[in-house]
Amino acid sequence: MADNAGRSGGTNAVLATVTSLPELDERSLVIEAQAGNRAAFEELVRRFDRDVLRLALNLMKRPEDARDVYQEAFLKVYRNLHRFRFECSFYTWLYRIVTNVCLDHLRRRQARPEDQAPEIHVNRQEEGTRDFFEFQREHRPALDPERRLMGKEIRSRISKAMERLSPRERVVFEMKHYQGLKLRAIGDALGTTEETVKNSLFRATRKLRQELGELR
Amino acid sequence: MSAGDFKMNCGDVGPLLVFLACDEVTAEERAAIEAHLAGCADCRELLSEEGQFQESVSVLPQAADELDRSGTLLAQCRSELAESLDEIAVPAERERWQSFGFVRRWMALRPGWSAAGLLAAGAILGVQLLQWLPTSGSGIKGVAMNVSAAPRVSDDQLARMAVSGINFAPTADAAPGTLQVQLRAEQPVTLSGSLDDTDVRRVLTYVVRNSDRFDAGVRLDCLEALKSRIRDVEIRSALLDAARHDQNPAVRMKALEALRDVVGEHDVRDALLESLNRDSNPGVRVEAVNLLVRSLELESLPQMPEAPEASDSDMPMIAPNAPAVALTGADPSVRRVVRALEELQHSDPNRYVRLRSAAALRQIGPPDVQ
Repeated sequence: MADNAGRSGGTNAVLATVTSLPELDERSLVIEAQAGNRAAFEELVRRFDRDVLRLALNLMKRPEDARDVYQEAFLKVYRNLHRFRFECSFYTWLYRIVTNVCLDHLRRRQARPEDQAPEIHVNRQEEGTRDFFEFQREHRPALDPERRLMGKEIRSRISKAMERLSPRERVVFEMKHYQGLKLRAIGDALGTTEETVKNSLFRATRKLRQELGELR
Repeated sequence: MSAGDFKMNCGDVGPLLVFLACDEVTAEERAAIEAHLAGCADCRELLSEEGQFQESVSVLPQAADELDRSGTLLAQCRSELAESLDEIAVPAERERWQSFGFVRRWMALRPGWSAAGLLAAGAILGVQLLQWLPTSGSGIKGVAMNVSAAPRVSDDQLARMAVSGINFAPTADAAPGTLQVQLRAEQPVTLSGSLDDTDVRRVLTYVVRNSDRFDAGVRLDCLEALKSRIRDVEIRSALLDAARHDQNPAVRMKALEALRDVVGEHDVRDALLESLNRDSNPGVRVEAVNLLVRSLELESLPQMPEAPEASDSDMPMIAPNAPAVALTGADPSVRRVVRALEELQHSDPNRYVRLRSAAALRQIGPPDVQ
């Protein structure tokens, strides 16, 4: 592994030797990495990989799939870094690659469901996992048992319903409601228009609410 | 468009409620929708349901919170990525030799012919080279020296010498054997004596310290000879130097092995920790883990009421229950070892090193460090 000061061969040797890599800003790191500085690339990975893995886990729901996405996405970044021209932030570019890798994986999964292990539903009480509302009990003493039961039921149904969404609908829904991104940013990440994203979100919401049926 | 320009009906408002609830409508749309909602109880009810639905969704625990609470998955991913990046880097080195690929394939399929060809090529090359290298023709025909107390090999000679071979002639009673060190300098010399001889020690330690000048095989022979005198300060220093800086991983590993009997010493433990953290070769790092565990084991032995039973695991040198005693002590170097192993088990790029570090921690550590 290259050393922490980035002395493994970037062009901007002076910059790299007088400033340690963790202190460099995103742009300088990208420039160093583009020049072939492996340590700079690793620093970029460390800055963003928590978010990448989090997104992959939330979208894929299986650790082994998330691991594949992580690998594939960062290797794509490594191989294509020379093509990055700072037309958007590195984070946006990275996010775009990660979401597209996730979409590919979800599409493959949908096309060959027999090869796939079942998703892990972290919110299902019957599988022995923790109940979100159980944690809230002390903070919300007024919450009545009936409502908690309803909450569990809703969560279970939402999880099942999410599996029936198309890969794009699922990614859009997750990015909107769990990553908290605006539709324009989701469009940027997926390389599509805001209008298309809006349609996907609308369809996803409608399907999910149909699944919820009488619980509405 | 303003609210006053266009009056929405329920059919217009319905599809927009999804976006109103998650704040994805324009200011104009919001004004028009709110104007409609003010007079339409049904749509207000729909909006309330939409809001409840989105609230239910937003409080769902996320998969990432549950699936990688400990950060182990992230560490795994980082390490696998580092391995993949290493693999990407390796082919660039290989490409230089790709043009010789057909020769390798040919030789692999015809081992007999290959051996004969290599012998013939070696013989021809040797004969030709002898004509051009003035010193190599008479290289090993040196005179045997009687070693006296005063050093006969000067610093200047050391700086210019080349070592063409080391022969061991161990005695039957396993005492330090006689060595023959064949030197090529202005005049070929064969040093003959045991490690008690100053000249022999000087030459051997000089070779070990100067990895850029001598062949790796000769350095390995020197280490083999020196390891029986590991308690000698000068020899130990040379071995520590080799363990840290030698260019060849086999030599570094051999140097670590040679330090096996003095692993409890602080300078040796420092060198092992350095290898653990900095050595680029996974085999050397694993050897460092083994020796560090051994050092903790040795440290804890005097406090143990009885000798540990032999382990049937694949790491026979570690007594399974032994050194936990050592870890409870306040020795900061022991804590450094544990910290280094913990770091290694999470972030070493090599899977075997990670597994070995985790196994070592299980062997040596109290429950809270596992």
